[in-house]
Amino acid sequence: MNDMSKDKNIDIQIYNFAYLDENTKRMIRRALLKALCIPGYQVPFSSREMPMPYGWGTGGIQVTSACLIPKDVLKVIDQGADDTTNAVSIRKFFQKTANVAVTEKTSDASLIQTRHRIPETKLKEQQILVYQVPIPEPLRFLEPRETETRKMHALSEYGLMFVKLYEDIAKHGHIETAYAYPVKTNGNYVTDPSPIPKFDNPKMNNNPAIQLFGAGREQRIYAIPPYTNVKSLDFEDYPFEAMKANFKCSICGSSDSYLDEIIVSDDGKRSYICSDTDYCKEQTQLNSKEEDQ
Amino acid sequence: MENNYPFSEESINSSISFRSLVNATSYPGRHFQISKLKKPNILSNAAATILITLCDNESNVYLSKDFSTDEVKDWLIFNTGAIVSDKQNADFAVGDWESLLPLDEFKTGVPEYPERSTTLIIEESNYKKIKCNINGPGIKDKLQIELPNPELFINNSHLYPLGLDFYFTNDLDILSIPRSTKISVTNSEY
Ligand SMILES: [Zn+2]
Repeated sequence: MNDMSKDKNIDIQIYNFAYLDENTKRMIRRALLKALCIPGYQVPFSSREMPMPYGWGTGGIQVTSACLIPKDVLKVIDQGADDTTNAVSIRKFFQKTANVAVTEKTSDASLIQTRHRIPETKLKEQQILVYQVPIPEPLRFLEPRETETRKMHALSEYGLMFVKLYEDIAKHGHIETAYAYPVKTNGNYVTDPSPIPKFDNPKMNNNPAIQLFGAGREQRIYAIPPYTNVKSLDFEDYPFEAMKANFKCSICGSSDSYLDEIIVSDDGKRSYICSDTDYCKEQTQLNSKEEDQ
Repeated sequence: MENNYPFSEESINSSISFRSLVNATSYPGRHFQISKLKKPNILSNAAATILITLCDNESNVYLSKDFSTDEVKDWLIFNTGAIVSDKQNADFAVGDWESLLPLDEFKTGVPEYPERSTTLIIEESNYKKIKCNINGPGIKDKLQIELPNPELFINNSHLYPLGLDFYFTNDLDILSIPRSTKISVTNSEY
């Protein structure tokens, strides 16, 4: 070997596909498969330092990194939008570290990483939805000790949770919790759906797609397999309601999607638009097609 | 976007293998395909893929009778660093059905940590196949498959959320029966 080719060899650096090293991925992958075998149960894992701070979805990013394949088409959303700083930076990260194709279209994506929303467009079999989770433990605000919450899950001791929800009803006449509304997965574990609006909760139930959850700081992974029963906690006399604002989107006119309230003028006039930007675009296109005909 | 990043072949292959495992585990009772790899003859491609994708130097692997050869051990240790172990401590167990019995020596997890349980990799053999209906997470309505000794799978599902998780492997083919799957026998003669 001459000196030239030696230099050349030094220049060629081989990278791990999708950033994480193989040992880390193996550990995360084992956790993910056990999570799928035990729906809703939080599997501990050793979270790795990622090149972005906690709160930026490092748990979701590690799950995505462990699942991604070269032919994936990736979509990343934050509060339903593809163009926020958080979504853009995660998308760029995987374009750079895995060279995968990206899309904003829910129906074209094979893997979707999300913060705080489930897309309005129905998901399909073998699509993967990766949730970024800040606090994976739904019992944490009732019981700060991990050893205790673990015991409560082990014994299905969820009475306190129902007491808290019922206190809401006693105080407000309805359950106040509007985000991260707890669910029961496969009739067993009470699970945190991440801070999605409760409007999205019914979409988790019996979904054909694979739902994976990653909490980086809290080092937990959990999953809801396809076609799994996911029930929002409620009471016989106060059944769960996936409420939404009784308005239409001012862009596409949709009345069945989750809406964000925006202030449109200096005097505080309000308007509502779809939180799911891809869905809103799609509906707008459908409307203009209908007008053309 | 142009790829200026040459990725290691290992990391590409493991990602594709793992995705097949995600699909197989997510949709129990359905067949998924993995690709060929270099492995000892006695191991199927599918079984070898599971081991190489998931095992490292923290994994205890039980190799049953015919699979407990120097060739398999050397291959496993060289490629994964895994520890060859007895049944009681196994995180993974590989073998044909009869040689893995009885199942009750494998660990099924503990209430606080149900994931600390054995994953069984069952290689195709001439076991008696009995028609079963399965339903549960990952299964749209129900599916019909064939299982050996369904009563053992029924017992296992009664341990839920504890229990064993199974992969049936045959050449390139893989099919999962996790603990969450409910089984009922359709054949009345059984
Ligand atoms: Zn809209």
